[in-house]
Amino acid sequence: MTMRQSFTAVIERNATLAGEFTTEPYEAAWAREARWFVRVLDATRRARMLVRTQISPDGLHWCDLDGGTEQSVDPGEGPLHSWPAAEFGGWLRLRGTVVDDPDDPDDPDDPADAPASVKVLIYLALKS
Amino acid sequence: MTTAPHPDPRLLDPKLAKFSPLRRILVHDDFTTGTHGWTELIGNHDQHGDLDTVDAHMSDFRPPQLSSCTFFDVGTHGAMSGTYALKVATRPVAGHTGVAIRRLTMSGRGRVQFETYLAYKAEAASAENGAATAAGGGRWDANNHPSEQQFGAFTVATDICDGVRYHNVVRYQNTDLDHRVRHRWMYPTVPEPTPREHFEGKVRLARTADFTAPDPADWRQFSAPQDLCFNEVPTKVNWHYLRWVIDTATRSNVELQVNDVVHDMSDVPVPPYDEEYGSLQNLLNFYVSVRTHTDVRNFLYLDSVLISADW
Repeated sequence: MTMRQSFTAVIERNATLAGEFTTEPYEAAWAREARWFVRVLDATRRARMLVRTQISPDGLHWCDLDGGTEQSVDPGEGPLHSWPAAEFGGWLRLRGTVVDDPDDPDDPDDPADAPASVKVLIYLALKS
Repeated sequence: MTTAPHPDPRLLDPKLAKFSPLRRILVHDDFTTGTHGWTELIGNHDQHGDLDTVDAHMSDFRPPQLSSCTFFDVGTHGAMSGTYALKVATRPVAGHTGVAIRRLTMSGRGRVQFETYLAYKAEAASAENGAATAAGGGRWDANNHPSEQQFGAFTVATDICDGVRYHNVVRYQNTDLDHRVRHRWMYPTVPEPTPREHFEGKVRLARTADFTAPDPADWRQFSAPQDLCFNEVPTKVNWHYLRWVIDTATRSNVELQVNDVVHDMSDVPVPPYDEEYGSLQNLLNFYVSVRTHTDVRNFLYLDSVLISADW
């Protein structure tokens, strides 16, 4: 068996994400397997990232993979999160939003108007 | 009838025959078989791996991609050899630079030659990316395409240290910062700002600063302008031969050949650092970069690379 090719791309590095976002397009037509890793470095209180894997035939026009299965990246559940992307064609990216859970009126350290953000590394691990 | 032996039997291999290597082949990177050590350049970080300590202008040079050169109109274009090329891509942000680097060391001194087959493109337009109305786009006349003026520059350069650290640099400036067509070869008159200079408080650059030489006034043209083959639209890929010779014995440039034009570079200076750098003895790095001057992604594609030396 020929040795399999692999490549891990850092799609976002030390990036602070807020509101809606998309990651840069990444070409991976050579890969049979793809897996996202999100490592949370920092986050505002109760911020969560909701993301969907998107695919494209040309790197310009995008739709959700798998009917839009949404992943929740909740820093409260640990710093590292991962999920696979299968049968994706040639291009991959993430579309997501950073959301804030409802304010806790009893928590004086939880200002209602603080914008939710997460600081992350996003890896795309590919294998032929 | 007898046939004389080939003058260089290495070149009987079709994958090598399109190159003109010096005596010792150090590297032959055919990107249909992987990335061959080409990786994203990043500035230095501290002992904790704290990425906040990376210089902002060296923190986001983007991961290289193994690209099948696939476009919206024709699908897969493919590379010159096989299906895949190494693609270096910018973000769609004016001033953003994508950089891929190949890290070696020197086992001798003398001439070193970098050869590649390359293509350069600006991203085709879509409703989402807005390239059709982004700055730099000219008028479409069914020959010249607006996107050609949305490609900024590509650069091939070294990072070398033999006790003295220096960079040989060649840049093809397709358009200047005001999107005017230039089609000229350039070099910087100053060495690249380093993370140590930042650490020492000597420089602090913005995220989209030109990391090779941030002040446009520090760049000079050499030789005559040269038209290349963008080929009218952003989805046609024509491969250009580039052969660049430097001399590490004299820390100098020798010549640059791009397709049928040879540019004498013997008078093109290579500015050294005044200060010494540790941990870099015999450093021999090559990097390629692509820089956009407008809010449109720019791409540099390499079909394959061959680096050879005469030591």
